[in-house]
Formats: sequence, C-alpha cells, structure tokens
Amino acid sequence: MNAPSTSPTIAVEAVDLSKNYGSVAALRSVSFSIESGKYFVLLGPSGGGKTTLLRLIGGFIRPSGGRVLLHGHDVSDLPANLRPTSMVFQSYALFPHMSVVGNVAYGLKLRKLPKDEIASKVEGMLDLVGLAGYGMRMPHELSGGQQQRVQLARSLVLERDILLLDEPLASLDAKLRKDMCLELKHIQEKVGITFIHVTHNQEEAMAIADRIAIIANGRLVEEGSARDVYERPVKRFTAEFVGENNLIDGRVVADAGGRLKVDTGFAAIAVDKRGSAAAVGETVSISVRSERIHLLDPGAAAKDDIQVIPADYVEAVYLGLTTSHLVRLANGSEIIVRRLSNTESDAKFVSGQTVSISWRTENAQLHID
Amino acid sequence: MRDDFSSEWGYRAKWAYLLTIVGALLAPVFYVIYISFNELGFGARVYKFTFDWYRVVLGDTMLVGSLKWTVYLALAVVATTVPMGLFSAKLYKRTRHKVLMVTLMLAPLFVPADIMGSALLVYFKHLNRTFETIGEAIGADWMTAWFELGFLTALIGQIIYTLPYAFVVILITMSRYRPQQTEAARACGATAWQAFCQVEFPQIRAGVFSAAAFVVILSFNEAPRTALLKGGFDTFSNVLVSQMLNVGMSGESYAMAGIMSIVAMTAVGAILIYTMIRTERLDRRARAAAEPVMST
Amino acid sequence: MLGEDGLQKWVFYIPVVFLCLFFVVPVALTSVWSVFERTTFWMEPGFTFFAYQNFFTSARAENYLFSMIHSAWAVLISFVLGFPIAVFVRRRVPRVAQHRVILLFILPFMISELVRVFAMRPVLGRYGIINNFLMQIGIINEPITVILFSPLGVIIGDVLSFLPFMVFAGFLSMEAVQNYIFEVCDDLGAGPVRTFRDVIVPLAAPGIFAGSVFIFVNGIGSALVPIILGGPGAVNAGLIVNQAIVALDFPLAMAISTIMIATLATLLLIGHRLFDLTKILEPIN
Repeated sequence: MNAPSTSPTIAVEAVDLSKNYGSVAALRSVSFSIESGKYFVLLGPSGGGKTTLLRLIGGFIRPSGGRVLLHGHDVSDLPANLRPTSMVFQSYALFPHMSVVGNVAYGLKLRKLPKDEIASKVEGMLDLVGLAGYGMRMPHELSGGQQQRVQLARSLVLERDILLLDEPLASLDAKLRKDMCLELKHIQEKVGITFIHVTHNQEEAMAIADRIAIIANGRLVEEGSARDVYERPVKRFTAEFVGENNLIDGRVVADAGGRLKVDTGFAAIAVDKRGSAAAVGETVSISVRSERIHLLDPGAAAKDDIQVIPADYVEAVYLGLTTSHLVRLANGSEIIVRRLSNTESDAKFVSGQTVSISWRTENAQLHID
Repeated sequence: MRDDFSSEWGYRAKWAYLLTIVGALLAPVFYVIYISFNELGFGARVYKFTFDWYRVVLGDTMLVGSLKWTVYLALAVVATTVPMGLFSAKLYKRTRHKVLMVTLMLAPLFVPADIMGSALLVYFKHLNRTFETIGEAIGADWMTAWFELGFLTALIGQIIYTLPYAFVVILITMSRYRPQQTEAARACGATAWQAFCQVEFPQIRAGVFSAAAFVVILSFNEAPRTALLKGGFDTFSNVLVSQMLNVGMSGESYAMAGIMSIVAMTAVGAILIYTMIRTERLDRRARAAAEPVMST
Repeated sequence: MLGEDGLQKWVFYIPVVFLCLFFVVPVALTSVWSVFERTTFWMEPGFTFFAYQNFFTSARAENYLFSMIHSAWAVLISFVLGFPIAVFVRRRVPRVAQHRVILLFILPFMISELVRVFAMRPVLGRYGIINNFLMQIGIINEPITVILFSPLGVIIGDVLSFLPFMVFAGFLSMEAVQNYIFEVCDDLGAGPVRTFRDVIVPLAAPGIFAGSVFIFVNGIGSALVPIILGGPGAVNAGLIVNQAIVALDFPLAMAISTIMIATLATLLLIGHRLFDLTKILEPIN
C-alpha cells in the first residue's frame, strides 16, 4: 500500500537576508526555510541578530539585501499590516488605554467585522489562553504572565498563519517562564499554525522547539532539530553555546577506519569521523558534553570505544540535582564533569589527586570550525 | 536626598531663598495687576478698587479688534506649529543625524526677536520683488507678491519662534511612549495613520495639549517679531508697546497688561492643575499595578 | 519605518524644510544683504562695506560694546543668583517634586516679557514701590533714580527677564547626573566648596554655558528692555537694528544683524569645543 506522499509546505523562507545599520552589519546573508505548522526557535546570544531576523520576517524593517518569502510570495516590500504574520512582543506592547477585550478585539475591529462575531471570537480566544472572565480588566491590573497571554490572544484571534514571538518570556520570573513555556507549546499544537520564537534561553528553546536555528554575529550558525543541535552540534560555536560542552583542541594525525586520531599535545584522542571533511594535519576541536564524562581512578585503561585521558582533580561543586566535578588537564584547561549527586561518589576524590576521565568515543563531536 | 546630617535650617533657608526669587520675579506683575484695578491709576495716594479700566479696554473697538487679531494669529500658529512639532519629533527619533537636526531645531532660540524679525522682513521683501519680476517676465499674472507683509508673514515669524518649544515638549512626551505599541498595532493590521490615531496619540495627548497651550501663550505674548512682520493689522501686544512708548502708561495700559497676565496665568494654572490630576491618577494606577498579584 | 511610502515618508521633513527656508536662508543671507548698497527706500545688490563703516565709526559701535558688557553683567548676576537654586533643587528636593519646583520658574516666563519688563517701571521708578518703601523706613530722603532709565535698570531688567533660563539650563544639565555622584562626594568628605568646584560645575558646564549664551544673546538682542527701562540713548544691538529698519536703512540693519549672529555663532562654537554642548540633550534621548 502506498502512503500518500506529503510534501511539507514552506511557510517562511529567508533568501540571503542581510540588514545593515550604517556601517554595522546586523545580519549577513542568512538563508533558511521553515515548514508550516512547526515550532521554530531562533536561539542565540544577545545582539546576535535573531531579533533583527524576526523583525525582517514580520515586516517592521526592510532588508538591506535578500528577500523574505511567506508562503512562496516575496513580501520584502510589504509592511507589517499587510503580511500574514502577527507578533507577540517582550513587554509593554499591550495598549494601556484599552481593556483586555479592547486589546484582543483591536485587529478584528480594524477588519470591520460585525460586533457579535468579534465578541464571540474574543471570548473563545480568552478561553484558549486561560483568561476567561478577565475581559474588562485593564493592562496595568494584570500580572506579567497574564499580559503575555493577552498578547497571545490578540495575535491568535487574527487567525494568521504565522505567529512571531520576540523573547515573550524574558520579562517573567523563572518559575512562570517554565510554566508558560509549555503552555505556548500546547497552544501551538492546538492551533496548528507556525510559531517562530526568539530567545537566548536554551532550556526554553529545547523544551518547545521542533527545530532550532542558532543565530550569532549576524549569521546562521547551524540549524536542526532540538535533539540534533544538542547531541550532535556540527559547529564549534554551537557546541560552546548549547549545553555544557567541554572543548579540547588538537591536530589530526591519522585517519583510519572511520575515525580520526587527534593529538592534543598531552594525549591522543580518537573521534568518529562521521563524514567530516577534516584532513590529516588540520587543527580541529573535540567537544564532549559534561554529563557524558565519567570520573575514574587514575590509570584506567582505554578501550576501543572508550577514550580515557589523565587529569588532576580540582573540586566538586554541589548543585542539588547534579554535582559538577572540575578537573584540570595537562595543558591547563578545565573540564567539567557533571554527574547526578551521590553523597558517596561525590567525595571520592580530593583536590590535587590524579584521576582519569573517560567517555564513549561516539559521544564526542568533531568540529573543524 | 536630604541626608540626615545636613542642617534643617540650611534646608529651610535655601527654600526661603528659592521662594523669594520666584516672588521677586512675579511680584512686579502682581503689582501691575493691583494697579490696574485702581481707579486713579499709578501713583495715586488713594486706592479704590474698580473694574473701570478693564471696561474701557474691552469697550474700545480698536483694542478689541487687535485682541481678535491676536486670537486669530494664536490659533493659526497652534494649528501649524503643533503638527510640525509632532513631525519633527518623529523624524528626530528615527534619523541618524540627531545632532545636526537638534541644532537646526533649537537654533531659533538663540537668535533674538528683533534680529530674526528684521532678517525675515528683508527676506520677504526680496522674495516679493523676485516673484514679481519673474511673474512679469513670463507673463504669469498669478505670480505676485505672495509674501506681502500681513497675516502670513507674521504667522511665519511666530512659527519660527515657537517651533523649538513645541519640538522639545513633544519630544519629551514621546520619550515615555513605547514604540512597540505602534509595532503591535501595525502587526494587528493597522496602517501607520491608524496606529498613530488609535494607539499613539491617546497616549501622548496630554503632552501635545501642553505643547499647544505653551505655543498659544507664547504667541499671545509675542510683540517684536509680529511688529516687524505684520503689515496692516495690530495685535494686542503691539498696541500695548506703542502705547507705552508714545503715550506713556495710562490706566488702560495697566488694564491691558493685566489682561495679558491674567490670561497667561489662567492658562498655565489650568495646565498645571490638569497635569497634577493626571499624575495623581497615573500614580494611583501604578500603585495598583505594583501590588502583588498571584503568579498566573 | 516600513509601510510609509511616497507622500507619507516626506511629510516628516516639512518642519525641517520650513526651518531651512524661513530661518537658515534668511539668517545666512543677512551677511549678503549687509554689503548691498542702500537706496532711499530699499537696497540694491552691490558690494560695499559702507554699512559696516557706518556702524563702526558711529556711536553705535560703542553702544554695542556697552550693551555687551551690560549683558555680561546680567549673565554673571543671573548665575550667582540662579544657579545655586538649580543645585539646591537637584540635590535636596525629593526627586518626584523636582520638576514641579522647576515649573515654578516657568510661571514668570509664561507672562509676556513685555508685561514683566513694563512692570519694572512702577517698581524701580521715582514713585515706585522700592523708593516708596526705602523712603518710608527712612533709609533715603530722595528717590534713587539710578535704578531706572539707566544701564543699571537695563541690567536689572535683563536679570529678572532671564533668570528662569539660568535655573532651567543649570537644572537640565544636571538632570542626567545620577544621585550617587553627589553621595560619593559626601562620602569622600569633600566640603561644599570643593564639591561645587570640582564636581558640580564641570558636570553642569554645558548647561550653564548654553543658558549663559541664551541670556547674553537675548540681552544684547532684545530691544524691549532698553526701550522700556533704558532711558534716552540706551540701545543694544536689537534696538539699533529696529531703529535702522524704521529709518529704512536696511543694509545697516543687516550689518548689525550679521555682527550679532557672528558673535553668537562664535560663542556657541567656543562653548562646544570647551564643553560639548550636546550633553544637554541626553535627557531628551
């Protein structure tokens, strides 16, 4: 039986997008595409260009170069009010002189829909975001979380295909952020439209994203599913930015059997090649996540699929759920080993003691840039 | 701010000094008003309260006529300068040449009235002659002296005078406005004009009205530029000046000065009271918002 | 912003264009007109320094200089009287009330300069309140005449007219300064004089300078004060220009205007070099 072939529709496509402010390049030649109905996250450090990118998609600024296509149409010259997008801002975006209902109904009133239709749509949307009964409140009477929900309602009620969110949870406190984060995901799954969410918070990104794009220094660094970006980062930057990764630099000295041997100056490490273009003699870096490293007694033996290198134990830092063990390598760089807290094993080593650290060969990533 | 260690008396003395200066600045004006209600005018030994001088002023057709011109001019100036203040404030927010623009917008403050008036006077006269010559040369009847000294020229002079003030006041008001609001409105489907009218203006309304009131008062009080540029009519202040210089200070002069002062003070008082009421209301709101609400 | 095309985009430039057309151009052209030749009722394009010669060789140049000196006195007195108020408000008055207190100084500004200057006559005159009061309490037997219709009268008039500006300018220039700087001064044990000299004045310098230039320029340029309070023969640049216009000697009026504007521009440039006047604008940004 043949399964019907479904080619996913592309909701948003950025083609070679650039944006300059005077001599400052905020965005350089960024290209990617976003499938309809996905939760897409733009993740990156502050000032890296992700908000600029979002605003280009939304129609609040004009690109200096390249194009924005929404559902296949070039909208680069269209202002925000003519694009099939709506936006949730970080803060202070509710109209303070209108009630909650007034805010949510604003877009519908602009479209001149009949009053009762507006009223029922607004009511339905307030239900969806969990603010039923709050219609007559004014924005200043609402908490931060409630304000963001009103923004969400105001945007969703317009029934546009693409919702943009500019760091929507940044001004909320940590607990609220976690709760609202999941709620956003549930709402997106319920409504089924494309969400594009900008944030600098990795956990947030991991929790909700179908796909993540890392934006830094005005460029698209890497793009992939949350799992891929976390477990198999391709670029060194991604490894440094996402998760807690330890980086070791070295030079390739051998290439055999799908693995590369890397000389770090104090040890030889084998790493899976996985189709990388690294050649013998090139400088590369290897990243291993801190939770994939084990602390062993000194002199532990390496095996075919386990890498072991010696290190000096520095200290343990108790963090509640996990404990960070800091060790220092022969070349002076520090490695963080993160294990679930355990009273016995946490106190096993003392500062200055020689230890070994090990990881499964397949858990290390190779980076050429 | 007032640290516990500085002297209470020092503080009070400084406040007293401040109020004395304000008093010294305002006292002469109140004295003039006081005189204006005196039946026998200035210098009389006996003080008898009367509205007579005001009756004379308001009954004099020429004076009332000049008052009308003052009002027309003031209205025309507000109608032009306030929108221009809005446009320039918005331009300032988005331009990259901020220093240049602010220099241009505030420069008129540093050119004294008589100099500016004279320069404009000569400018207009030249313009008129140039247009007339061109008009004759190309046979265009409609091209005559557009800048004949009159209402338009006086208006232009006053716009140049008041625009810097409108610009600054509106700019300060706008600095409290969050531009995300306009973006949010655009994202909801509003055009630039709709976003301005329905979202931005309601929030900057108070500042715009303050700027408007400010401009009205400035125009009302203006004498030197208007004198040079007005052409055929006279404004209230023009009449007062010519009276002062030619006739001397009569009871009517005091009454006229009194009218101008009372109008100005009432207008300013009204703005101040309105602003204070508004701040009270906003403070109450802010206090309400600051109360802990359940994290939901 | 994206979304305003065509007419919409250009409408925001109207004020700037207007200012260029009706402010920058006329002011720039004064220098050109000042070298035109005078005719009976108007002027003719030409190139002559006659107007300047006329000005410098007549009593007018002397009067211009005197009026500059008087204005300078007015600035100094305004500073001494008014700047401490600005400092006091900024340092000792609770932050929320600061603006309201400064607004007190807007009040006199809102009353026409004409009326305020006019009001000085019944105060400073022979039979005015000051003389009446002093005679009543017996300090003097005859009215003091030097305070009106004299240079002193002009200076007093200037100070009272423009004192509020010194307060504003001083306050505004210190507005951006955070409170903690003052607290640090107190912490470090700096006495009031040292704090004033080493901290407050440098920080407020741009504002003080701008305020001073404003007062100075209006002192020599506003015809109202000498006309009403100066007495016979008292003139400043603004009044001379006015008289020249009335006498239909336009090139002369333009020449004096040019000199005045040149004075002003020089002062502002010096100030900018010394103090970076753009600092005053920080509260606005």
